[in-house]
Amino acid sequence: MINHLYRMCGLAIKELQQLSRDRLLLAFLLLGPLVELLLMGSLTGGGVTNLPLAVVDQDRTRSSRQLVAKLNRTDELRVTMYGDSVEQARSWMQNGDVAAIAVVPPGYGIALMEPTRSAEVQIIADGSHHVISTVALGTAEDVAAKIGSAESRPAASTGPIDLRFVARFNAAMEDQPHAITAMLGIIVFQVALVVAAQSIAREREMGTLEQLRVTPLGRLDLMIGKTLPTLIIGMIDFLMMMGLTVIWFDIPMRGSLALLTVLTIPFVLAQIGWGTLISLISRTQQQAMLFVFALAMLEVAFSGFLVPAGNMPAVMQVVSYISSVQHYLVIVRGIMLRGAGLDLLWLPGTAMVGIAVAVMTLAWLRLRLGLDPNSLRQRLATTWRHLKDCWHGSPCGRQRRARRGKQPEWQHEPA
Amino acid sequence: MIPVDDPSLLRYNPGLMSIKRLASILKKEYRHIFREPRTLWMVFLSPAFVLIALSMVFTSGTNRIELALWDQDRTALSRQFISTLSSDADFSVRRASGYEEIESRLVGRHVDAGMVIPPGFADTIRSGDTASIQVILDGVDTFIAGQASSSLLGHAADFGAQLSRQYLVPPPPIQIKPQSAYLPEAADQDSMVSGLIPIVFSLPVIAAALALAREREKGTLETLVATPVRGLEYLGGKMIAYVTASLIGLLPVWLTASLLFGVPFRGSPILLVVLTADFLMASVGLAIVIGNLVHSQQAATVLSLFIFFVPAFFLSGVTDPIDTTDLVSTFVSYVMPSTHFVTICRALFLKGASLLELWRPALMLLGLSTLWTILGALTFRKRIA
Repeated sequence: MINHLYRMCGLAIKELQQLSRDRLLLAFLLLGPLVELLLMGSLTGGGVTNLPLAVVDQDRTRSSRQLVAKLNRTDELRVTMYGDSVEQARSWMQNGDVAAIAVVPPGYGIALMEPTRSAEVQIIADGSHHVISTVALGTAEDVAAKIGSAESRPAASTGPIDLRFVARFNAAMEDQPHAITAMLGIIVFQVALVVAAQSIAREREMGTLEQLRVTPLGRLDLMIGKTLPTLIIGMIDFLMMMGLTVIWFDIPMRGSLALLTVLTIPFVLAQIGWGTLISLISRTQQQAMLFVFALAMLEVAFSGFLVPAGNMPAVMQVVSYISSVQHYLVIVRGIMLRGAGLDLLWLPGTAMVGIAVAVMTLAWLRLRLGLDPNSLRQRLATTWRHLKDCWHGSPCGRQRRARRGKQPEWQHEPA
Repeated sequence: MIPVDDPSLLRYNPGLMSIKRLASILKKEYRHIFREPRTLWMVFLSPAFVLIALSMVFTSGTNRIELALWDQDRTALSRQFISTLSSDADFSVRRASGYEEIESRLVGRHVDAGMVIPPGFADTIRSGDTASIQVILDGVDTFIAGQASSSLLGHAADFGAQLSRQYLVPPPPIQIKPQSAYLPEAADQDSMVSGLIPIVFSLPVIAAALALAREREKGTLETLVATPVRGLEYLGGKMIAYVTASLIGLLPVWLTASLLFGVPFRGSPILLVVLTADFLMASVGLAIVIGNLVHSQQAATVLSLFIFFVPAFFLSGVTDPIDTTDLVSTFVSYVMPSTHFVTICRALFLKGASLLELWRPALMLLGLSTLWTILGALTFRKRIA
């Protein structure tokens, strides 16, 4: 036991030494996450703002100018072009100069004054970018509704039921807490995954795996010795980024930091499991990197950050439960923003631990098969041969062989 | 460069570039890619595979909004309101009693929003006044909160109109006639698939960064130093090999987008191929700079993941458009080749734009590919460390 512990620690120390020798790599691993979080946190999460809007004002009255000014005053839209015709504005859109076109038809001002008529305004949004078109149309609808309720006809918009909205946890409805917590999870994910995925692939490519195999290091020693340093780096990164999130970005920490830290461990372990698995099946570091990238893209897609999980098709929703990032984001947001405890987060917590255990077990099983990237294929081939032999040996298979007039291979007489 | 004592050796090394030596480097790189079935698969087919998986997520499903409802009124009218809510496919209503229960369900993410119907709701409406209902949204996910508030508003307006049918409801003063250019209806998937094409191409591009770091790590660069191959020939060979190899990967990606997801292609195919090559040149150039800066493949992977993964995904305008009034974010977005290629892909697939309309992103890509290639050549040192 003591021997095992000694060997594991030896390997872990060797890994850490190797990391600290490559100063550039160490800097990337420790400072890279902070820089990236700082960059992404400052640049994303502002919502969609300042979409360039072209106005084709065919009415040219005081009311139409008022409408244009109101559109310009929103955060989302910014009037950049005034066109004479719809065709001209459309050519701007084709160039990508404007994201939307507002067409105010002649007679708008007159229609607005008459209580029995609606004044029509056409909004043409760039459908080639779905976010642009949704935001531009939504903003225009809002502006129209506000003009309606503020000026001429107050009774029109307020029906007998008035909904009063209150946003809990984020009264100003800012996007930033949502975006930064997502970045935090994704960056911890990528660091843990990439370090683990290169570990064995690197040894193999450099030929040092051969040397490791002649040492008394067992499989379990190898696995734990490789896992520990990555876990340490992942947790250091997590804690540093946590500090940045709370202190610099002013994201509230309403729950317990200890609970979040404890739940981060299975998250990092799950990535180490994936990484080890990738490391075992790839022959070169290049292959390992490509696997890492493909897996990272899928995890982010399923994480629910780009598309809320509820908006995915049903099949994809089921697949998305395998994504540890999704569960982790639920946990991070639950603890940090909603102040949830373990009693409310047991479901994603259990899922996270379950994924970590499952992936680690897979990696362990793969490691037991052997360190050669082809050993799974070899094992499958052996099993297949064995099954074939069994079939040939069975009465059923023998009959069939006899009917075909062939002898099973193992019954061939040596020539 | 190695000092050459014997001038006769120079005749093997005339000029800046030699096609023959470039070709031999090219051959070596191709052999690296084709030797391993795994690498081959990853360079050619992984972009298409990742595109399929990513795009499947964006096939729009409908989201039901989970609602915790506390009815303090308990009258026929409030029950009528609740029953119309629960019969609506957009909502799934669960009963709650008390603010604590709504709060704990919100914290535990069992519901997306809470709703409180106050006592006296029915009486207020009968007397002809406006009755207010409180809606407590979960502000953490602003997207879902927005979805919930707009569909609840629509529902309340419908219910209100039903109630006041006896009164004459005046038409709204301004009616917005929405029109989505290029795509007939809200086809999120078409826009997303064409926007994701640049992202999936970062896979073969990073392979180039690692190919360079590998030579340094394994020491085969030292062997190359001893050959008459010049630095530019070496870099050129690497670049051409990875650009052409990835360019072949465009075909499966294109077929996936057009046949599997039915994304229309309205532009010129030749233009797409040319601009993809332009984009790949810029990206591989950036990858070469990364490969030059670091000494190990592990460092190259970490750095390229930091550059090509998160920023390329979230800052290139695939999801949120770039705010061109913010100089910092515009600068960061514009130095990444994928930003311009996202614009180009969407314009070629969906808008049917020609080169005349795409000259700006195309020129930017050309500038970036020149910039990164020159930087790659400048940072490259063909010598023993």
